Amino acid sequence: MTTAPYNYSYIFKYIIIGDMGVGKSCLLHQFTEKKFMADCPHTIGVEFGTRIIEVSGQKVKLQIWDTAGQERFRAVTRSYYRGAAGALMVYDITRRSTYNHLSSWLTDARNLTNPNTVIILIGNKADLEAQRDVTYEEAKQFAEENGLLFLEASAKTGENVEDAFLEAAKKIYQNIQDGSLDLNAAESGVQHKPTAPQGGRLSSDAQPPKEGCSC
Amino acid sequence: MAEIKAELSTDTSNLHISNSSGNVSSQSNNPLSRKLNKILETRLDNDKEMLEALKSLSVFFMENSLRTRRNLRGDIERRSLSINEEFVRIFKEVKEELESVHEDVHAMSNCCEEMTNRLKAAKEQTQDLIVKTNKLQGENHRLEVRSQVAQAFLSKFQLSAAEMGTLRSARHGPITEDFFRALTRVKNIHEDVKVLLRTNQQTAGLEIMEQMAVLQETAYEQLYRWAQNECRGLTQETCDIPEVLSQAMEALQERPVLYKYTLDEFGTARRSSVVRGFIDALTRGGPGGTPRPIEMHSHDPMRYVGDMLAWLHQATASEKEHLEALLKQVTIQGVEENMQEVVGHITEGVCRPLKVRIEQVIVAEPGAVLLYKLSNLLKFYHHTISGIIGTSVSSLLMTMDEMHMLSKKMFFNSLSLHASRLMDKVELPPPDLGPTASLTQTLSLLREVLASHDSSVLPLDTRQADFAQVLSCILDPLLQLCTVSASNLGTADMATYMVNSLYIMKTTLALFEFTDKRLEMLEFQIEAHLDTLINEQATYVLTRAALTHIYSCVQQHTIEQGPLANLPGMDSTSLKTAMVQFDRYLASPDTLLMPQLNFLLSAAIKDQIFKQSTELVCRAYGEMYKAVTNPVNGYKEPESVLHRSPQQVQTLLS
Repeated sequence: MTTAPYNYSYIFKYIIIGDMGVGKSCLLHQFTEKKFMADCPHTIGVEFGTRIIEVSGQKVKLQIWDTAGQERFRAVTRSYYRGAAGALMVYDITRRSTYNHLSSWLTDARNLTNPNTVIILIGNKADLEAQRDVTYEEAKQFAEENGLLFLEASAKTGENVEDAFLEAAKKIYQNIQDGSLDLNAAESGVQHKPTAPQGGRLSSDAQPPKEGCSC
Repeated sequence: MAEIKAELSTDTSNLHISNSSGNVSSQSNNPLSRKLNKILETRLDNDKEMLEALKSLSVFFMENSLRTRRNLRGDIERRSLSINEEFVRIFKEVKEELESVHEDVHAMSNCCEEMTNRLKAAKEQTQDLIVKTNKLQGENHRLEVRSQVAQAFLSKFQLSAAEMGTLRSARHGPITEDFFRALTRVKNIHEDVKVLLRTNQQTAGLEIMEQMAVLQETAYEQLYRWAQNECRGLTQETCDIPEVLSQAMEALQERPVLYKYTLDEFGTARRSSVVRGFIDALTRGGPGGTPRPIEMHSHDPMRYVGDMLAWLHQATASEKEHLEALLKQVTIQGVEENMQEVVGHITEGVCRPLKVRIEQVIVAEPGAVLLYKLSNLLKFYHHTISGIIGTSVSSLLMTMDEMHMLSKKMFFNSLSLHASRLMDKVELPPPDLGPTASLTQTLSLLREVLASHDSSVLPLDTRQADFAQVLSCILDPLLQLCTVSASNLGTADMATYMVNSLYIMKTTLALFEFTDKRLEMLEFQIEAHLDTLINEQATYVLTRAALTHIYSCVQQHTIEQGPLANLPGMDSTSLKTAMVQFDRYLASPDTLLMPQLNFLLSAAIKDQIFKQSTELVCRAYGEMYKAVTNPVNGYKEPESVLHRSPQQVQTLLS
């Protein structure tokens, strides 16, 4: 066989949350397409993106649900926290109000996800240093107090965007290795692909497969 | 042998010569002398023969005696004889040897001759063979060339044993890259062989074509079976499409029927997986109960339905992704349609459990506002999911649409029911002529509905669509209700009550979008009632100022009736008395207000009525003043009767 039978060994489900206009969709777009979307329209409800990454030598498929920040969608987006392995909580470093709302987002995330869901705080628009309204140290402290991972990123320049998604994935993978995340359950937000026998299964009436037959 | 004999004879003659030489010397003229001469001339040193003879003689002639001399001749002869005998004896041996040699040589000669003959014969015989061999060699060469051609032909138009094996073994083993390579070759050969049909190798061409067609068919069939089996196994919650399966689909697209059946199989497998996943999410939830089963939230209809629909949205998106992975190499037309069709098929299974649950929620009559929210939520997810499935006919979308229509219908039913209940028991206006309890209650319902509409997840244009219906469903019965309940009231009371009710409706609506038309209508109705109130108020003022009679006389007065002053109650004294009253009003116009005006909820409206009714009063005074100052009407000193000019009155009242 020249191709691997499976493309990835794990699937992690992510959700991106945060106020309207903090750049959630742009972060996702930068991560999946490696491009900056200059005038991104408001997300209607929930959008979806995937990408396969590598964590500790394991192929992991990230299934990312990007939610609308508008208040009127709040009821809808709440349904998407269900079974997320990772949550990216985004604020805009140039708008303090988006930072101030974090506790409300965090409450939602804590209430609606599993206890071992990895939450990473992301201060977006790090390229706009001149207009900064929230200091790094302040946000860092908030993250530490609440046990969150923390990064400042820029969807525009792509800085730290990759890391944001990877850091969360590493932490989830670590949880799996520790055994603190139960993979056998359907809605842990992580799915493991058991190593199936090479190639195909046979119909019941076919002969048993020859051992080591590679043809 | 003859030569040997000849030699022997010469030797013997030589001997005779030497023997006879002695005799010769004693002859000649004087034979003796001649002989002597000869002897004398004889150079013994040079005559080797002589020397030899003498030497030989010395061997046996030992003693020179007479006797010996006499016997010399005999001796020599004897000796010669014996030598000759000896010679003969030896020679005989030699002869015999020679004879045997001769025989041998003869035999050899025979042999050689025989061999020569044989060779000749063999040569004659092999001549044919050589010709044949040469011919065969030529043939061989020719055949070799042909074999090469045939080999090339075969490698071009036939499968190698390995390829054949790959195609055959697919029945027992997994499909690999090699299989696809072999399959592609079969296809290529099938194409290439068409060239043969144009040459005179048609039979071969047709045969190969047929053979390839058969091979192709069996290969496709095996591939189909394999792919079908693969698909059948894809029943895990999330499935990863192996690369080989994508390739299989690419190959199978050549056979639309097999392609479709494989997709069907895939759909069926995924369908059962999605149904299982959905039921698990509904009833079992995550590990250790987190996330909790969706049904745990069935007491909260919005969350319950929202969670179900969000789960389905995510499942649909995942399934679409799986299909994209499966069909990524397929190039035929209409792949997108295929995908939509299959996703439709996959999500068909969840329709029933979904429908049953949503119906339960709707039928439980959670109230108009919730029904309205549910209908909006369903509409939103219909829109969201159709972005994935496409607008093709799909059971899931149909179910959602059906549920949307049902909840909408139930919502309007609930509104209508509310309205008809209002009409069943018409509430009388309260003494303060304010809005009735049922009106405020209905308006708060409307406010709630509109508020949920405002925060609706639907885009603006969709929201606007059913807005008119909601408004007419609530407002029309309300207006009717107000009219009916006010029917027994007096004019001013009715107008006040109506203005108050309409005003409440207007202020409620003004907070929301898309209500402009309705607001305009309400405004118009308010205006109508305002006119009534203004007239009433003006009349009220004139009555209290005892000017009603005078004013109506002035208005109805004609020339034929004679001077106005002669009419009953219109004499100067009566007018003066009335003016005293009117002056009191002018001093404090606020005291002469209809009691109903104080019940008006809006101060602005009250002000407007006051202002406009005052204008009416001014106009009436103006008319009376004009009539009184007119000399035709026979008032003496009209200035003393109506001592204020209309301008003064206007100034005082404004």
